[in-house]
Amino acid sequence: MASLSKGSIAALIAAVVGALCLALESSVPWLVKFPAAWVLPATDWVGAAMEWFLALIKPAARSFSALMFYPMEAANYVLSHTPWPLVICATTALAWSLGGVRMALMAVVGLGFVLASGYWPESMNTLALVAVSVPLALIIGGGIGILANEYPRIRQPVQAVLDIMQTVPTFAYLTPLLVLFGFGPVVGLIASAIYAAPPMARNVLLGLERVEPEIKEAAIMSGGTRLQQLFQCEIPSAGQQIMVGVNQCLMAALSMVIIAAVIGGFDDIGWEVLLTMRKAQFGQSLLAGLVIVIFAILIDRMSGTLTQDRRDRHDPRVAWGILALGVVVSVAFWGSVQQPGTYALFNPVADSVDRGLSSFTSANAEFLTALKNNVLFYVLLPMRIGLDQAVLPFTWGFAWTPMMSAALFAAGAAAGVVFALRGQMALGVMLLIAAGMLETGISQLPWPFVLVGAGALAWVAGGRGLAILTVVLLGTILLSGLWERALLSLYLSGAAVFACAVMGGAIGLASAVSPGVWRVVRPICDMLQTIPLFVFLIPVLMVFQIGEFSAFLAIIAYAIVPMIRYTRHGLVSTPDEMIEAATASGATKWQMLKDIRAPYAAPSILLGLNQTILYAFAMLVIAALIGTTGLGQSIYLALGQADVGLGISAGAAMAILALIADRMVQGFAEERRKALGL
Amino acid sequence: MSGSETPAITCRNVWQVFGNNADSALKEALSRHETPEAAAQELRGKGLVPAVQDASFDVKEGELFVIMGLSGSGKSTLIRCISHLLHATGGEIRIDGEDIVEASPKRLIELRRKKLGMVFQHFGLFPHMTVAENVAYPLRVQGVKKKQRLAKAQEVIELVGLGGREKNFPRELSGGQRQRVGIARSLVADCSVWFLDEPFSALDPLIRRQLQDEFLEIQAKLKTTIVFITHDINEALKLADRIAIMRDGKVVQIGTPADIVLRPVDDYVREFSKDVAKGRHARVASVMQEGEHHVYGADDPGLRQDMTLDAALARCMELYEPVPVRTDDGKLVGVVNPADLAAALQVEQG
Repeated sequence: MASLSKGSIAALIAAVVGALCLALESSVPWLVKFPAAWVLPATDWVGAAMEWFLALIKPAARSFSALMFYPMEAANYVLSHTPWPLVICATTALAWSLGGVRMALMAVVGLGFVLASGYWPESMNTLALVAVSVPLALIIGGGIGILANEYPRIRQPVQAVLDIMQTVPTFAYLTPLLVLFGFGPVVGLIASAIYAAPPMARNVLLGLERVEPEIKEAAIMSGGTRLQQLFQCEIPSAGQQIMVGVNQCLMAALSMVIIAAVIGGFDDIGWEVLLTMRKAQFGQSLLAGLVIVIFAILIDRMSGTLTQDRRDRHDPRVAWGILALGVVVSVAFWGSVQQPGTYALFNPVADSVDRGLSSFTSANAEFLTALKNNVLFYVLLPMRIGLDQAVLPFTWGFAWTPMMSAALFAAGAAAGVVFALRGQMALGVMLLIAAGMLETGISQLPWPFVLVGAGALAWVAGGRGLAILTVVLLGTILLSGLWERALLSLYLSGAAVFACAVMGGAIGLASAVSPGVWRVVRPICDMLQTIPLFVFLIPVLMVFQIGEFSAFLAIIAYAIVPMIRYTRHGLVSTPDEMIEAATASGATKWQMLKDIRAPYAAPSILLGLNQTILYAFAMLVIAALIGTTGLGQSIYLALGQADVGLGISAGAAMAILALIADRMVQGFAEERRKALGL
Repeated sequence: MSGSETPAITCRNVWQVFGNNADSALKEALSRHETPEAAAQELRGKGLVPAVQDASFDVKEGELFVIMGLSGSGKSTLIRCISHLLHATGGEIRIDGEDIVEASPKRLIELRRKKLGMVFQHFGLFPHMTVAENVAYPLRVQGVKKKQRLAKAQEVIELVGLGGREKNFPRELSGGQRQRVGIARSLVADCSVWFLDEPFSALDPLIRRQLQDEFLEIQAKLKTTIVFITHDINEALKLADRIAIMRDGKVVQIGTPADIVLRPVDDYVREFSKDVAKGRHARVASVMQEGEHHVYGADDPGLRQDMTLDAALARCMELYEPVPVRTDDGKLVGVVNPADLAAALQVEQG
């Protein structure tokens, strides 16, 4: 027994606790369902405390809000009153000087589409918000990054705060801001500035830390003062990394501005999507979504050129020429250009999309319903409420009997014993646990089992510190009365992550094996990563209507990308020497993949899984718009009712789940990296 | 050179200890132990890293002083103490008599602007500046007008043979060219003390030799005081007026190239000079018995005291009795036993 590995011990403990809970289910009901009487009214406390605090800083916030009103109005006025030919030409000129002909063409075609779609004024409203929030985020983020670099003592806490900010779901920011600033576009503005600042801070700090020590020393030995060293040598040397920060900051700001449309009160493009979606005008909704995608791609690709190592230089005279053309056209046709909002060239297309869609869904109704129901009944529902309740004559054609439970456990135990005898104790016990979870369903797992199981897993992944942190944080959720909602969130994101891991892993593998596949997959991945979260909802909604299945699909579509990318990257980046050594040993292609590439790629794949989990949690909250239960829904409801307590608590619970998952996977990845000596 | 003037650089019992509370730990260890070895031992026991231990030496004005050692021997740490990129944990460092360790930040900036120059192993060039801007940077921080500083930079760029490359960026240059930029930048402010931290280690052997030769030419022209770090014994012997050899943070021997080759203090130093062709570095004077009254044989192969051992041995291969050694103008200064010549070249086999 002394030879039991850490993993086996943890698995055994979890299995024993789980079995105890199951056995005592009937006699000690509080073991399974946490008694409501034990729940602390934490949500109310948080609400009261926050309201007191918010009331305290409200005057300052309101005056800041009044202050921000002016630049926002100014940006809005400028963007909406500048003749559209000038805006298009100015953007094209900028695109030319950044990326030459290709980029300029992209700008012309993209903005042309926006103009023709009739969403020009709404787009300009959105851009005005971005134009004000991004400089704000850049200054805040850059300042934080520089300060953290200058004072090593605050570096750790700053990193921790940035980590947490990244895991707090976007909607959760909005509720307190709403109370603080009142309804209106300023909330979106400030939310997007807050949301977009961390990536900037992170990249500035990373860039400054990575400046070669000799460059810093050379700056010192040249006799520069600290400010000269920083602004003349270190910051320019870190330029590329800082530009990555600018790029991410822009994308985050755009994404948040669009999400903030949920609050309403501003006639921007996100609101347009929401409105048409609610009216089930999916053609129009798709059109507005495409406009958002175009802006996202233009902003991403144009700012992306700044992060490249060696940029080609493009003749500035061409840029001036394009700009001059814009001025000339605007002046010459001042009176005769149509108002940009009146174009509606794509309305017939949108209408035919609508018509096509309804004929498609009615023609394939049977298939679509079957697909949806099969996934719901045979995958999602059993995961959620367990086989013992999901298997009904109505769905599966027969009822679940205690005999079947016994058979399931017997099969699990038998497989477990086989593995244990082969020396894979931990795996065997985990199979048994899996059988138990399948029987019970994730949303109805006994709480002692979840606490102990998560604690044991955390202990294996990151030692005692992480285990304690995990149990304490989960305990907080339990006591605050958000437990059931948290398990529901865990179930849906867990199911989505599982699907992403399987499908994304397979696609990543295929992309690694065949360059042809990668050539197809890569632009799709690029595209999916540029699209703001919000837009993912439109196509799934078009085909599958509101409901859990649509949410499930939307989460997968968004969260699968990192899994694909990291799997492929890990598999492809095996050092040549190892490949040559394996080839020289006579390994076949398949053996090479299994024995050499896969183990080497493990840390990278785990990091991909980690990203996928974080993405899934982020999307879960957005997906609440189209029907999910759990924490996401609570956050969304809190927003509607301006319930700060519920909003913050549910947001915090969400962040806790994401944080724990993140730390655990990071722990496993770190262990693998160490084992490989990386 | 008269011996009474202040040395350009003085190091007295310099310590650099890394780790938590290194200052107080060093003070405590020094007060408790007699020898630096024992103190270092105690520091290591506490988990601290004594990277430089009790280093003491002087560098004369205009001298080319080479610090040599393997990686991890503390040589780079020592040069960073002297240039105050690191604050020495203990001891005294003076440049032209001025205490560097206690100097104020303001004074340090002034010193770096007027007096000190440094060249780095991996060049440390600013990637966003052209060659000319890189070289002119030390003048820019002083507020010298653009036209003036570019003119001065141009002079130094010509000196290091990079004329015509002013507008290039560092990434467009080869390794050898990059280090020329590094050298030019360190010279632009007319420094009087020049630090070079393994300046040629990252270069190909051919380029390395070429740059060493050019470096000696520049040195002959400028006659600055130089502290030069290297891990290459051949480079050290070729360039140095004097060499300090470091091992595990301690300076184990200081001497002229001939001293190092012919009279190594211990096996560690001997191991270094093992592969060196000694005959090419040591002079006859180093094995000669001085004085005018020695008895010598009838043959006079015509030895001069500044001849290399190789050349001297070639002339008295067949001889067994001591032979006379003279100055260039024929004055007798001592005798050499041919057996000693041969023995000196065989040191490593002993």
